[in-house]
Amino acid sequence: MSFPHLHVASAYSTHFGATLPEALAEQAAADGASFLAVTDRDGLYGAVKHVRACVAAGIRPGLGADLEVHDDDTLAPLGRVVVLAHGDTAGRGYAALCRAVSSAHETTVRVQGHTPSVPRGRLAQLAGLSSLTVLLGPASDVGQAVERRDTAAARAGLADWLRLLPPGALALEVVCHLTEPGTPGSVAPATRMLALAEYAQLPAVLTNAVRYGTPDEAVTADLADAARHLTPLAQLDQIQLNGQAWLKPAAAMRQVARMVVDAGTHNDGALARLLRDTIELAERCALDPVGDIGLGRPRMPEASVIGITGDPLTELWARARHGIDERYGDAGRGALTAAHDRLAHEMATVRSLGFASYFLTVAKVADLVRGMGIRIQARGSGVGSVLNYALHTSSVEPIGNGLLWERFLSPERQTLPDIDLDVESARRHDIYRAVFETFGGDRVSLMSMTNAYRGRGAVRDAGLALGMPDTEVAAIAKQMWRFNARDFRAALAEKPELEDLAAEVRESSQLDLLVDLTARLDRLPRHISVHPCGVILSDASLLDRTPVQVSGMGLPMSQFDKHDMDPMGLIKLDILGVRMQSAMAHAVEEHRRLTGEHIDLDRVPLDDPATFELIRSTRTLGIFQIESPGQMELVGKLQPEEFNDLTVEISLFRPGPMKNNMPLRYLEARHGEVAPDYIHPRFEPILRETKGVVIFHEQVMRLFDELTGCGLGHADVLRRHLGRPDQLPQIEAYVRENALARGFDDATISRVWTVLAGFGSFGFAKAHGAAFALPTYQSAWLKTHHPAAFLAGLLTHDPGMWPKDLLVAEARVLGVPVLGLDVQRSALDYRVESHGEGQGIRMPLPELSGSSDAERARIVRHQPFTSLQDFRDRVRPRRRTFEALARIGALDSFIDHDRTRRHELLAHIQSLRGTAISITDDQLAFEVPLPVLDYEGARFDTVTSLQLRGRTQSDLELLDTGLAVSGHRMRKYYPLFAELGVTPASQLATLPGGTEVLLAGVRRATNTPPMRGGRRVVFVSLDDGTGPVANVVFFHDAQESIGSGVFQTELMLVRGRTRRSGARGVSVTGDGMWDLVTVAKNRARALAAAAKAELAGTVTGTGPGTAPGSAAVQRQAERRPGAGTAEFDLWSTRTG
Amino acid sequence: MPQIIDAEVQVELSEDGDPQAFVWDRFEHTIIGQPQAVFTRTRWWENEGTPTRIDTELWRVDAARGTEDQHRYDLRHDADGTWVLSVDWG
Repeated sequence: MSFPHLHVASAYSTHFGATLPEALAEQAAADGASFLAVTDRDGLYGAVKHVRACVAAGIRPGLGADLEVHDDDTLAPLGRVVVLAHGDTAGRGYAALCRAVSSAHETTVRVQGHTPSVPRGRLAQLAGLSSLTVLLGPASDVGQAVERRDTAAARAGLADWLRLLPPGALALEVVCHLTEPGTPGSVAPATRMLALAEYAQLPAVLTNAVRYGTPDEAVTADLADAARHLTPLAQLDQIQLNGQAWLKPAAAMRQVARMVVDAGTHNDGALARLLRDTIELAERCALDPVGDIGLGRPRMPEASVIGITGDPLTELWARARHGIDERYGDAGRGALTAAHDRLAHEMATVRSLGFASYFLTVAKVADLVRGMGIRIQARGSGVGSVLNYALHTSSVEPIGNGLLWERFLSPERQTLPDIDLDVESARRHDIYRAVFETFGGDRVSLMSMTNAYRGRGAVRDAGLALGMPDTEVAAIAKQMWRFNARDFRAALAEKPELEDLAAEVRESSQLDLLVDLTARLDRLPRHISVHPCGVILSDASLLDRTPVQVSGMGLPMSQFDKHDMDPMGLIKLDILGVRMQSAMAHAVEEHRRLTGEHIDLDRVPLDDPATFELIRSTRTLGIFQIESPGQMELVGKLQPEEFNDLTVEISLFRPGPMKNNMPLRYLEARHGEVAPDYIHPRFEPILRETKGVVIFHEQVMRLFDELTGCGLGHADVLRRHLGRPDQLPQIEAYVRENALARGFDDATISRVWTVLAGFGSFGFAKAHGAAFALPTYQSAWLKTHHPAAFLAGLLTHDPGMWPKDLLVAEARVLGVPVLGLDVQRSALDYRVESHGEGQGIRMPLPELSGSSDAERARIVRHQPFTSLQDFRDRVRPRRRTFEALARIGALDSFIDHDRTRRHELLAHIQSLRGTAISITDDQLAFEVPLPVLDYEGARFDTVTSLQLRGRTQSDLELLDTGLAVSGHRMRKYYPLFAELGVTPASQLATLPGGTEVLLAGVRRATNTPPMRGGRRVVFVSLDDGTGPVANVVFFHDAQESIGSGVFQTELMLVRGRTRRSGARGVSVTGDGMWDLVTVAKNRARALAAAAKAELAGTVTGTGPGTAPGSAAVQRQAERRPGAGTAEFDLWSTRTG
Repeated sequence: MPQIIDAEVQVELSEDGDPQAFVWDRFEHTIIGQPQAVFTRTRWWENEGTPTRIDTELWRVDAARGTEDQHRYDLRHDADGTWVLSVDWG
């Protein structure tokens, strides 16, 4: 006889449960169970996964939630109960459960700071019509009274429940974890609970209040408890008393039942009744995945909500035809006809799948966004649809770009379509609110995402549980990246930079334990948060199908994540905030502000020669998608000439193609080094655009279609199955049979099959590539033609991978200086202003660290200021802000921009006492010359501020804003560079390959891109202020000899050899690295010592110029490359 | 008088998995009534290595040798499957 578990927390009860639903369902099925419920704490977080796992395991699912309950009026807590949904109720039970969970979370909003808790009155209401069973177990108010042997209170509490809840909605839950007598979880309270049920004539059910699948996972639950209470295990009071809360098999549960019944005095047949009642309740709670939960049934918003009255399909047809005429009106008759034909083809699928409302819904959202004046662009396979293009959902023309509808949607596809909309990141929340308003809160919810434990979080929580010092754990956590926590031990053995840590682990049993525990936590759900872009759109039944809770931004969020959407038939729209879209919008707006001219980026011709010239030069810093060191290198080799080249480039720069050497094969054919291999003339039209290399999903689909005549829809199904090795023989047989019949010979079939099978699932949808290429081109166009406005956009919205300080350096090199903070001119974002002959970008007020929003708002409101006094009176800055502004020169306008007087200014500000006189906005200000700034006479010459002494302007800027705008932070090292013979980054490209060089600079980025062969390569991008970053590559041997410095040294000196890559690209293979600060210090020390020695006359013939800085630099000097590198005069001309 | 025994014993289990009898000192002791199990946690983080179980399993049983008076005993069931008679409570 099997035993049905009714109270089980999965790992989705974060910081509580330890086992994933899939594992629980498999375990239950293996034990012969026919039913398993998952009742996560405070929600249905693991519900969909559980239901699907049960379907897969062939058992019936039950769903419930472990919820806190309170009294409606007094808010008095009534403990925790398990709420279980009844099955075979056409979804009524499941809906009531969803609503109960949502209600519990509503409490956190209604009562500030309250934990999720459902009001008992609301629960009683939802339990009506026999929808729910409420289990009162040890954690309920009744169970707590039973635990403390307070029979009267237990009976009174139970009477309250019985009075309030509908008949039949209540059962008592008997839990016994076989703890020591006298503690919670022992047999005594369990047997008393059973007695209470007999007294009240209520059913009692046995559960194990499960927290983990197997006994050994009790350790993980211990870690979860420590993490939940933020307390080391050794000091944890609430620690579980033993490890018995596992998913015990039926025999073990019956054993527990016998001990419980035997420990007290009960009616005859108590044991059998307890087990029977448990099974009966499970029967009642077994849910039908389709009938009760609605698994797999999509629901679109009702027609009325998307603003139509008639048939959605008719409406869609009308809008789409109109859109095609408008979009292709100027493209010529042939193109127009082709577009209409394609539309008819797509509409046939839409009609047969019944998705017309879906397209109208997405188009309505896109219209909504555009109507708000926000940039929007579709991404994903939906870009392949001419219907989406016609509806203005997408802005990439699909037919000319060779994109396929079937990659997006076909009758053969089993999943819901997915259209991603990229919008300006800065306006994302406005859009969400507008969507909620337009569609109504009962049809819209944000999607959540489950954050799982990764390396750093896992090591922190494991370290916390062990009570290790924070600093020690933090030091280890810092090294936990680029590998999975579950591979911690393997990483320790393999990675050279972890060698020190590995040695410590060998020495310490605590660290050894830490490694094990960290691996245990890896990938367990850690917390849920709002998904960065997912919006769920449905009909008015949404809240009957998903519980919601409040998200960080105040809008309701579903407890289901993206993996749950498709099974639950929930339509999800990804409205993704893209900072580049904000940056471009900012650039366009700045251009309009300065010139009155409006740039319509979406109508910029896609063949501008100057834009492609800039891209080919590899000066791609700041350009969408192609600004990383690896991308710069690939762009340099590929030398894009047209829009499609960008699509190809972006699609090639991905892990799969990189690992399979596809970029190299493509480049060889592109540059005519080898002839393109099309395998068969019939494949040439398909593979021509990529010179015979299969890069795109669309190409694979076309190849399948050409080979077998299966149609593009089925071709996409075959393509998807390529990723599953077990499917390959079947597909191959199918391809061979049909291709032979279609006139291909065996040799051709074998060759093309090798390509297809090897392609696996790693290719890229061209639709994605083209959708990425558009903003790539648009941002490159802006950088080419409006660099000042574009960089102002980049600096304001910070969209890329590079630190702002490097963008500032790039701006300087482009001849658009970033101007320092000035209270007279700085705004709240980066603004372009005229500067000398050209333009400059003014640093905005928020860059000043430590100033408040209110202060900044007052500065902007009252600009300009007539005097320091005026500034102080109107802005009323705090002392700290006031001084920082003076230090970095933002108040220089009050001292005639004479930097040497800044210390006077600072001294004056520091001497100010008392509060400023506040002047109301409407009061006229009189220009009274104030005496305070009349600094004259001898006594002021001695005034100085220690804060300014010995600090360069760059130092001060870095201190207060983190950005060196007046000059590059490396500049103070230039004399040293000149002395050592360091090659400026801007001159690298002039050197032949294989030249030995010294490079120096500040680390701007570290990358470990995927590499063919699997050995890790580290790219370090150095910025010395002379031009674009210099990319240094460290191969395995260099990484070993340098050690952790490869990842940790910030200012560095590198020795290596140049490596040419393509016509314009050059990088350096590093073989040595030193900390620049140490080198400079040693150098200075040596110089001082030498000077001293010379003064003392003890040493002759050692001038300061030849003094050895350190052993390292000594070696440098010996190996110093001869003619060439030392000749650059950039260092000397740029100093001063 | 409680007496610490700490001797490995052979335990016979019933069909349901409860201890039914044990052999100690060559004599079979028959367990009377429903034996009760108690699981007590360990402070595993103070030891080396990650444990497979965090608790120890102890059965408190009433048993008698032949027709003699019954005693109360503690039987410990270790993770490796061995049974140890730990205490004779008298």
